[in-house]
Amino acid sequence: MSLCEAEKTFVLHGVEENLRIDGRDREQYRPMELETDVVSHAFGSARLRLANTDVLVAVKIEVDAPFPDRPTEGKLEFFVDCSANATPDFEGRGGEELAAEISNCLSSAYSSSLSFDLTKLCIVKGRKCWKLYVDILILECGGNLFDAISIAVKVALWNTQVPKVRCIDMDGNTVDINVCQDMFECQRLDVENAPVMVTVCKIGDKCIVDPNAAEEQCSVGSVVVAVSGNRLSTVLQTGMGSLHPLTLVECLKMGHKVGKKLDEAVKEILEKSPKGGDVGFLN
Amino acid sequence: MPIDHKRINGPDDTLPYQLFIKLNRQSLSQKYKELVQNGKRHDSRTPLQHRKIFMKTGVVSQAKGSAYIEVEKTKVIVSVFDPREIPNRQDYSLKGEIYCEFKFAPFSCEKRRLHQLDAEEKQYSQMMKKALEATVCRHEFPNFQVDIYALVLHNDGSALSAAITAAGLALSHAGVPMYDLITSVTLGIQKDTILIDPTTKEEQICRAPFVKEQEDNEHGLVVISMIHTHNQVAQFYQTGSISLEKLSHLIETLEKACADIVPVIQQCLVKHVIKTIKKSSNAN
Amino acid sequence: MSQKFHIRLASQRVNTSIAENQRYPKIFTPGETITKQNEFMRGHGTYEDNGELKSSVAGVREQVNNLISVKPLKSRYNGEVGDIVVGRITEVQQKRWKVDTNARLDSILLLSSVNLPGGELRRRSVEDEHMMRQYLQEGDLISAEVQSVHSDGTLSLHTRSLRYGKLGQGVLLKVFPSLIQRSKTHFHNLPVGASVILGNNGFIWICPIINNSEDSVGGFVQNLEEKVPRQERESIGRIRNCIQALAMCKMMIYDTSILYAYEESLKYSIVELLVPEAMVDIAILTQHRLSMIEV
Repeated sequence: MSLCEAEKTFVLHGVEENLRIDGRDREQYRPMELETDVVSHAFGSARLRLANTDVLVAVKIEVDAPFPDRPTEGKLEFFVDCSANATPDFEGRGGEELAAEISNCLSSAYSSSLSFDLTKLCIVKGRKCWKLYVDILILECGGNLFDAISIAVKVALWNTQVPKVRCIDMDGNTVDINVCQDMFECQRLDVENAPVMVTVCKIGDKCIVDPNAAEEQCSVGSVVVAVSGNRLSTVLQTGMGSLHPLTLVECLKMGHKVGKKLDEAVKEILEKSPKGGDVGFLN
Repeated sequence: MPIDHKRINGPDDTLPYQLFIKLNRQSLSQKYKELVQNGKRHDSRTPLQHRKIFMKTGVVSQAKGSAYIEVEKTKVIVSVFDPREIPNRQDYSLKGEIYCEFKFAPFSCEKRRLHQLDAEEKQYSQMMKKALEATVCRHEFPNFQVDIYALVLHNDGSALSAAITAAGLALSHAGVPMYDLITSVTLGIQKDTILIDPTTKEEQICRAPFVKEQEDNEHGLVVISMIHTHNQVAQFYQTGSISLEKLSHLIETLEKACADIVPVIQQCLVKHVIKTIKKSSNAN
Repeated sequence: MSQKFHIRLASQRVNTSIAENQRYPKIFTPGETITKQNEFMRGHGTYEDNGELKSSVAGVREQVNNLISVKPLKSRYNGEVGDIVVGRITEVQQKRWKVDTNARLDSILLLSSVNLPGGELRRRSVEDEHMMRQYLQEGDLISAEVQSVHSDGTLSLHTRSLRYGKLGQGVLLKVFPSLIQRSKTHFHNLPVGASVILGNNGFIWICPIINNSEDSVGGFVQNLEEKVPRQERESIGRIRNCIQALAMCKMMIYDTSILYAYEESLKYSIVELLVPEAMVDIAILTQHRLSMIEV
């Protein structure tokens, strides 16, 4: 779908006027719907729907050996699957590039121990650690993927229950781990500072967040800002075109401001969410 | 890239021996202390000083355009190949495409690299593409694709920046129409120490925070690519954990650092032209 | 929605069904036998098998004399001659444009069935053929009328009236074609300060009021300079969100229902209309008012 010039002009003037085509102002998000504990086989999962974008995130945990150069840290890996269910463009290897971009951006945003502490995932220094596989499935693609995915990942990690280790037997080179059988004795991960990404989109001379499909087409460039606590954990310029350094700083400011508020909103809703037993996935 | 099944790839996972030597057992805070001493880095640069750059064009005779860059120990070769029709494409695209491949040679880092592109290399390829897309006049070759290959021979930090700068030079050597020259600079930050053009060792120190609870535990790496005369940022990437105020300040610093490299590229291009003219007049 | 974010849990999801009575019509599923008598004619959404008439889609049965068809809720647009459609140009070809009208196949707009600027009837010259992209290019939106339906279902459009032609600044909204109520006119200048074109194909165009119909020249000019004033922009945004609310609750869309929904929506701000609760509320109130006039 490509827009004609007149439609683009209408969108552009709307952004300048601070009244977008659906009535939002520049810093406003569309309503979101969140669901946790949707995949019973996973240790933690979340589904987020933002207008037409639908993502499902599941976390699986395995025991692994830590990296030799970082013996006290666990592992965290992101896999993005752009399934052809979302749009036929993803068919075959079509979605690969986008998937790589998103997963790289996520691992970069989570790389600092200030945003997510991997040392908590270590079991025996240099020998055993937990490895978290975060699988992200894009069910429907309606723009603004980065933001939706980052929130879903954060919620899924919040939802994740890491089994408690009861005792460890060390016998020479072999390490035996005894894990609690009781499913209720699990520990939650600390996601206080887990990054939330905000895509700031430049349309005309102004910047907006959460663009819809039409607005995405009008944009000349966008910046993905990952906000972790009060800091920026990753900034990535995407899309075509270049930005003036001052515009870039403007974008960062806006992303930082909106990201912090978004983070608060997510935390607020998580406190409200019932512990276990939400509605089914296909309700 | 298709996987070559016949190639013997060597062990999947290797460990560099450096991990086991004593020097590496130093704690991060100790390394940090040695980072800058008396206002000098370990290679006797000041923190905001870029390493010396050597550039040369026309190193790959078969390619349309090529460039070699040496930022002291970091060495990168970039070659640019003729525009060709976009393979496996049905619809007509009004703008030309750019294909980038950023590759570390297997022996270029401490750890041995495999022949296939790994996640990091793919990420760098994408960033390189992003940076170059903004500089090349893509409307001048619709439905065509320019291939750019960057090969890092030796990685001693800031390899991506070196590759982007060299790619810009190689593109202009190849005669691909461009809006402007592109320059790229990497910056590392750990606590309040800012290091322009970090080496591998410095990059590693900047990657992780060594104090958890304190306020001033900012750390991270920033890569910026600038289009000089238009004063535009073509590509920007940051990782780590940096506050907004600091990052805005860093952008200014990087802007200046990028501008400093421009004369080097210009000089290199002029030199190349003079050389060619001399050669042809000699031949006559 | 005064705050910038609105995150809800799935357990708080609202029910968008607003049917008043619980009596649903019989819904046929694909393969289900509709009738075993073979005096009926086969319409859309049905097929014959061993003398039985069976449904090929999931939907409700509609009968006109002997013709039986099954109408699904969601479907692509089945064109009929005389329908008003809104479409987007997808391709410029020799002497014709391809138009996406949400039908099964791309529709065709022939160069000979458009009013070219500067005179009602003149011969199409070779220059006109070369100029085609300047009249309409890929991505442009047009309003048109269905001139004929080909045997394979391709629609042939025409814009031989000053009402039709290229569309200027405004917003396009897509709903299910079956939600558009057929009426005498599909061009409405709503008194709230915007005009809408309800395309039979489910494409709805909302734009600022068009008042000067006499000086339009077949509509190949777009005014890109003019800025739509904020007030009109607000009503366009509100109408857009109202229609979306009606479509979400599967209510028929026509001028009265849009106007009622607009009036009922005034207690909310425009952005609040994106929240599902508000959307359902408006749909219920509109339905209530509509049933009042029917009585």
